[in-house]
Amino acid sequence: MIKRLVLGVVALTLGLVFISPAAALEKGNPRKGKYTYRKVYSTCMARGAVESPKPTVNPDAKTRAQWDKVFANKDFAQFGCDQEWAALPAEDLNDIYSYLWEFAADSPTPAKCK
Amino acid sequence: MRTRQAFNFVAALGMLLVLMTGCSTTPPSAPVTQPAASEAGPFHAIVDVAFVQQHVQSPMPEGVMLIDSRPRRPKYDEGHIPMAISIPESKFEQMRDMLPADKSALLIFYCGGPACDLSHKSARKAEALGYTNVKVFSDGFPGWMKVPGNFAAVSTDWVKQQIDAKADMVLVDSRPKQGKYDQGHIPGAISISDSQFDKLTAQLPADKNKMLVFYCGGLACPLSSKSASKAIALGYTNVKVYPEGYPGWVAAVGAETVTAKAADAAPVAKPPANSIKAGKAEGTIDPAQFKKILAENPSQIMLIDVRDKNEYDKGTLKTAINIPVDDLEKKISALPADKPIVFVCGTGARSGESYYMVKDKRPELKEVYYLDGELTIHKDGTFVLKEPA
Repeated sequence: MIKRLVLGVVALTLGLVFISPAAALEKGNPRKGKYTYRKVYSTCMARGAVESPKPTVNPDAKTRAQWDKVFANKDFAQFGCDQEWAALPAEDLNDIYSYLWEFAADSPTPAKCK
Repeated sequence: MRTRQAFNFVAALGMLLVLMTGCSTTPPSAPVTQPAASEAGPFHAIVDVAFVQQHVQSPMPEGVMLIDSRPRRPKYDEGHIPMAISIPESKFEQMRDMLPADKSALLIFYCGGPACDLSHKSARKAEALGYTNVKVFSDGFPGWMKVPGNFAAVSTDWVKQQIDAKADMVLVDSRPKQGKYDQGHIPGAISISDSQFDKLTAQLPADKNKMLVFYCGGLACPLSSKSASKAIALGYTNVKVYPEGYPGWVAAVGAETVTAKAADAAPVAKPPANSIKAGKAEGTIDPAQFKKILAENPSQIMLIDVRDKNEYDKGTLKTAINIPVDDLEKKISALPADKPIVFVCGTGARSGESYYMVKDKRPELKEVYYLDGELTIHKDGTFVLKEPA
């Protein structure tokens, strides 16, 4: 009985720590995400908030786990262009997340935002 | 004793669980700007749907403005509260000139419902500009649509997209037939004038779930709204109004407007004979057909290599022209509408981006595709395509 209880707690601990953040995130369309990600910055440049239409954070700047964490926590401050990020609907965010995750530093094909 | 040790172990694991899950939800070290208390949370003046209904009229009364704070595309375009104007929160500063000059005018902001804070942010910005009668309809567009009898309004861009896509809808011109509809109407619209609505209901589809879009003579014209309400009363479940109506259509589309006489004589548009077989993923071309076209009839498509020039110079497909993805937006208006366009690159990433750019910037182009997969092009123009898993 006690052994089962111990095993249950261990499983719950591992589950919450390692599975929940990734499971909470939906994957979208990475191809569309690439376009949407770059469009954020071209829009942002058009209003004069940044100097270049190219995103400053490349997919290979983080590992997949790090991208999971960024999007699970909606921690978009590091991207700049906060107005554009705030206006992104959930579907667009999922697409961008999928693009960054697909080409993350520890993915089979790490990529710059080329 | 053994039991006590086990419970101590469980307690320790419990502590570990709390600490570890706490860590997993703690934001990373990147600085996060926390808004000041006055800049966060709900706006101080919230109104309900009854208040909005009291002020939403066609035409809108003077001194009242209803403002949709959501992104214009696609949210506002595909459905908004009738008579609302679009000032996305993200473009508030650029578009604030659209607000009335009278600072005592009633401004009602809304967005996507209780979880959406765009309207609250915009309302605070409006107050900062000196507007004294600012409200937020926090139930937003979903709250509006929950009320039986209410309908959504759509934009010119949306109506044009539906027509171009040959969407399954019935477009109804609510103006008088003689003198208005017969002089010119939106292509494909049928005439059911509001004054004759009850006599002409047989022209409406039998399927009560079919989309009906009513329009009339612009923002000052109430006929389309009246007809929409009558259609809902008849049991139609998917009813929309296009408030800009015929004047808005002519202003946006102009020459494509069809008169009744011209419509009668116009041939029915046929789908292009050289339609492309789509691949598995959205926007992709079927790889086998792509190879067949290149082998047998490459001039059937406009092939665009969107890699950088230095990559293109090392070898490309025989009929491909080079428009690097970074230059595509500048040249997008020159893309032809008379033959299918296929984008290629090395992996499908840049060609996919190009596809979505065209869908966004030139939605009227229907025959646009990209080649997905790893494409290795040799100097002599031969290639190897490794299809995606």
